[in-house]
Amino acid sequence: MYSFDYVKPGSIDEAVAALQAEDAQALGGGQTLIPTLRQRLAQPSVLVDLGGCLDAGVASQDGGCRIGGGATHASVAASADAPKWLRAVADGIGDPQVRNRGTIGGSLANNDPASDYPAAVLGSGAEISTNARTIAADDYFQGMFETALNEGEIITGVTFPKLEAANYQKFDQPASRFALVGVFVGKGAGGVRVAVTGASESGVHRWADAEAALAGNFSTDAVPGAPSADGVISDLHGSAEYRAHLVAVLTRRAVAAAG
Amino acid sequence: MEMQGERLIEASRNEVWTALNDPEVLKSCIPGCEEMEKTSATEFTATVVQKVGPVKARFKGAVELSDIVPGESYTISGEGKGGAAGFARGGAKVTLADQDGGTLLSYAAEARVGGKLAQLGNRLINGFAKKVAADFFDRFQAVVQGDTPEAEKADADAAEGGDAPPEEQKKGWLKRMIS
Repeated sequence: MYSFDYVKPGSIDEAVAALQAEDAQALGGGQTLIPTLRQRLAQPSVLVDLGGCLDAGVASQDGGCRIGGGATHASVAASADAPKWLRAVADGIGDPQVRNRGTIGGSLANNDPASDYPAAVLGSGAEISTNARTIAADDYFQGMFETALNEGEIITGVTFPKLEAANYQKFDQPASRFALVGVFVGKGAGGVRVAVTGASESGVHRWADAEAALAGNFSTDAVPGAPSADGVISDLHGSAEYRAHLVAVLTRRAVAAAG
Repeated sequence: MEMQGERLIEASRNEVWTALNDPEVLKSCIPGCEEMEKTSATEFTATVVQKVGPVKARFKGAVELSDIVPGESYTISGEGKGGAAGFARGGAKVTLADQDGGTLLSYAAEARVGGKLAQLGNRLINGFAKKVAADFFDRFQAVVQGDTPEAEKADADAAEGGDAPPEEQKKGWLKRMIS
């Protein structure tokens, strides 16, 4: 690592102000950022630690739940106030260190194309709150590592709606526990949503064909065959066709598990 | 990796060719380009900042135009060093053809990275390189056509909704790049 300034503001307003500095970088749990700094793949002038100002709580709300932007994956996994399907997602992220340090706000701000929370947020139709506004999941995810966040905007919380049935299935990459492919299926007041992570070069996205088929018949038989492999990630862990196949397989598993 | 694509640009072939050779146009179209200076008729020095998730690197290097067939085709290539991050090299063969309604621009681009950047793996680099290439030609099309912000907004509105096909999502990126 190299030298940089470090600040830990006590309020959101102070954090927003601190992030105005040139090449300032917000720090959540640091599970992506710190390894990146160690590799010198980013050289911010100042790290703004959000740990001193973000709400880290989990609270049930209208049958769903509200999670503070600073909540770690482990605290979500252990909370009786979070729905079971969401606890399962959080409990499957990374390894114990990642779960004990990593935060939901950090995960969503980073929007790694293979991370788990983006699928759960998009597949449940959650809303992301920032210091400035509330953003619907459909508007928030805009491609690999791309989000609707403006420079210096901070995720303060996420509100998950009540769902009748929901499940997340992932085929994980054993070294990193990132999803080789992950599928979240959620059925609620807004209909059926199917969100896919790990597969597309454009990051997390909804699978419209499966949503349409499942809307009329929420059963594994209704899940369509594998989607097109165009634009699907291909690397040494799996070809585009393999990943596209996994999308359909995991969708069926998620539907079966969601019941 | 290699990437192909094409854009139908609502302008004459001559206008498109002129723009392809205008350093100011190139500078405004290369994503993350901070500086670009002409050093000869076909060579430029450039500073480009690229950000992929947490990774941010500033590349200093050269851009060159070669295989020039005036009014028809050329190859634009660039390479730069990004300090500790490693190096990146990329290029595109650009071909123009007359078509109803304007000029059809076709490109075949390739990109390579080395050093620590390469450790990110293909999972990220492929998708990112495709996006950079698409961004460049999206912006180029907008600049040449002199698209209005209203038109861009309409594109972006159409792209909202997570099930939008990739082509529409690209327009969403474009809108944010130039707005």
